[in-house]
Amino acid sequence: MLIELKNAYKIYNEGEESEVRALNGVTLSIDRGEFAAIVGSSGSGKSTLMNILGCLDIPTYGEYHLDGEDVTELSDKKLSFVRNKQIGFIFQGFNLIPALSARENVELPLIYQGLRASWRETLVEDALSRVDLGNRAEHRPTEMSGGQQQRVAIARAIATHPPIIMADEPTGNLDSKTGAHVLTILQKLYREGTTIILITHDNNIAAIAPRVIRVSDGRIVEDYRQEVDWL
Amino acid sequence: MNLRQTLKIAFKSIGARKGRSFLTMLGIIIGLASVITLVSYAKGETQQMMDYLESMGTNKISVDAYSYQENINLFDDLYQYCLQMDTLVNGVTPNAYYSGKITFGAKSSYTMDYSPDLYLGGDQWSVCNNFTIEKGRDLTYLDIQENHQVVVLGADAATAFFDYADPLGKTMYVDGVPFTVIGVYAKKDFLNEGYTLDNVMVIPYTDSRVLTIANSYEVGSDMTNFVVSAKSAEATQQAVTRLDSFLSGLLGDMNDPMNNKGYYNVYSMNDSIDYATEASASQQKLLGGIAAISLLVGGIGIMNIMLVTVTERTREIGIRKAIGAQRKSIIVQFLIEASLLCGMGGILGILVGYLSTAVYCKLQLGYVVLPDASITGLAFLVSVVLGVVFGLYPAIKASGLQPVDALRTD
Repeated sequence: MLIELKNAYKIYNEGEESEVRALNGVTLSIDRGEFAAIVGSSGSGKSTLMNILGCLDIPTYGEYHLDGEDVTELSDKKLSFVRNKQIGFIFQGFNLIPALSARENVELPLIYQGLRASWRETLVEDALSRVDLGNRAEHRPTEMSGGQQQRVAIARAIATHPPIIMADEPTGNLDSKTGAHVLTILQKLYREGTTIILITHDNNIAAIAPRVIRVSDGRIVEDYRQEVDWL
Repeated sequence: MNLRQTLKIAFKSIGARKGRSFLTMLGIIIGLASVITLVSYAKGETQQMMDYLESMGTNKISVDAYSYQENINLFDDLYQYCLQMDTLVNGVTPNAYYSGKITFGAKSSYTMDYSPDLYLGGDQWSVCNNFTIEKGRDLTYLDIQENHQVVVLGADAATAFFDYADPLGKTMYVDGVPFTVIGVYAKKDFLNEGYTLDNVMVIPYTDSRVLTIANSYEVGSDMTNFVVSAKSAEATQQAVTRLDSFLSGLLGDMNDPMNNKGYYNVYSMNDSIDYATEASASQQKLLGGIAAISLLVGGIGIMNIMLVTVTERTREIGIRKAIGAQRKSIIVQFLIEASLLCGMGGILGILVGYLSTAVYCKLQLGYVVLPDASITGLAFLVSVVLGVVFGLYPAIKASGLQPVDALRTD
């Protein structure tokens, strides 16, 4: 199993009156090469689940094994390797660094990987062309449309060729046409063998995923596979 | 991730935020420049004051004295007494000033921008006032005794009347009374322009009678102020004591309300130099205080702008962590960024400070003062350390967060 979460809890203000259980005992496995949609309404705990799966947060209780390694035990240095090499993130709000150009944003994870400049350049060009952005590479995020910014974010996520792509409401800030374009890119990545975890509140978007995991009140309430028309 | 790449990221980050980077530096630049300028100006002014006092002559004793008794010539008595203590004093002279119309040919002191001061002195006037003769001869005892109508010019007074022609032997007129130029003193005041210590003329004090007769009003017939020049600071103290007892013998006890012989007061000019030193020290403290405040204000400005960026940068740190930056690389990046920014600001601040010191001192003091290296270094250190500490603070704080918490900041 690539992803194995066992009995995970995320509890804020534990023991106080204002205690919130964002995750309330979640057990979940996702295999290499799967396309899973985590679906739920806002406040259901789906984002918390993704943050933990993506090593952006740690569970209060429970175990999380990523590619066989217990993530909750890792040091900051090892965790940063995991985030850098194993996972590519696509956020709803793009999360690009506004001071850097599109190219520099895409290059950043490669710099943190310590790659040579010439090799970085090749990978950046490749990532940008895969999202059809080669011609806008020198622009700042603020000079781009939402769809273009999200494609820069996707290019940044795939530049390191991570085995897992996590997309948190990737179409949330986009109109339907550009949103569809982003989903097409995810489908293409899936076909190339990348594991895709897509977080959404929208059942229409979840409909493209071969596996649907429904979350409510911090628990998994449904987990099923479905036939999809694009495969 | 190596240092070169970290440097590159830091440079990019600074370059991409030109406006804010400049504002951050501006705090340092203004703080540093004002500290350097103020302290240097205070230093220059003090130096100038000391130079001026010294060229006026240190170890001077001023004697105010007048007698109610008809049969006493105070100056002659003082002159003789000073000759007796020639191990302590260089000489004594009346210190009197005559304001009248001085002319040579078509030139008149009334139409000059800076009319020369005309002194009535004795043959030791130049010794007492730190002048040395450059051309011709000085006043002599005989000139005084026989009230010769001669004049010796200070360097600037000579230039004012004669330009570059030789003034020796020429006849000048003071309120119509002729005086022959017998000598010119060497220039000694290089600090001032216009009203300089060299813009002076001296005639025998005994010529006051001639001027009195010629102008039918009384001119300095009773000299009441005299200057005694002592050989050293120590000699000054001794001479003051001896002059005091000598004059009290002549003019009576000043503490006796029934005394009707006369009045005198002896005081050393060193007292006024001490006072000046004290005044300039307190001025330096004041300016140092102002400088410290401007450094503080600059520092608070740096602090402010660095802390204001915390929110935005916290988010950036979250992004960087999410895509795989180690805590160490983030801290190093911010350290380099803050050091570069503050270092550049500091260097610019020093440049601006040196420039404004040069300009300000040239305008105010008439010459360029070089700022103190230790003050410059200290001010640089303080502002750069402040900048780096407060630039690093958000990085240390935010890089320790879980990426999701850093990302959540808006």
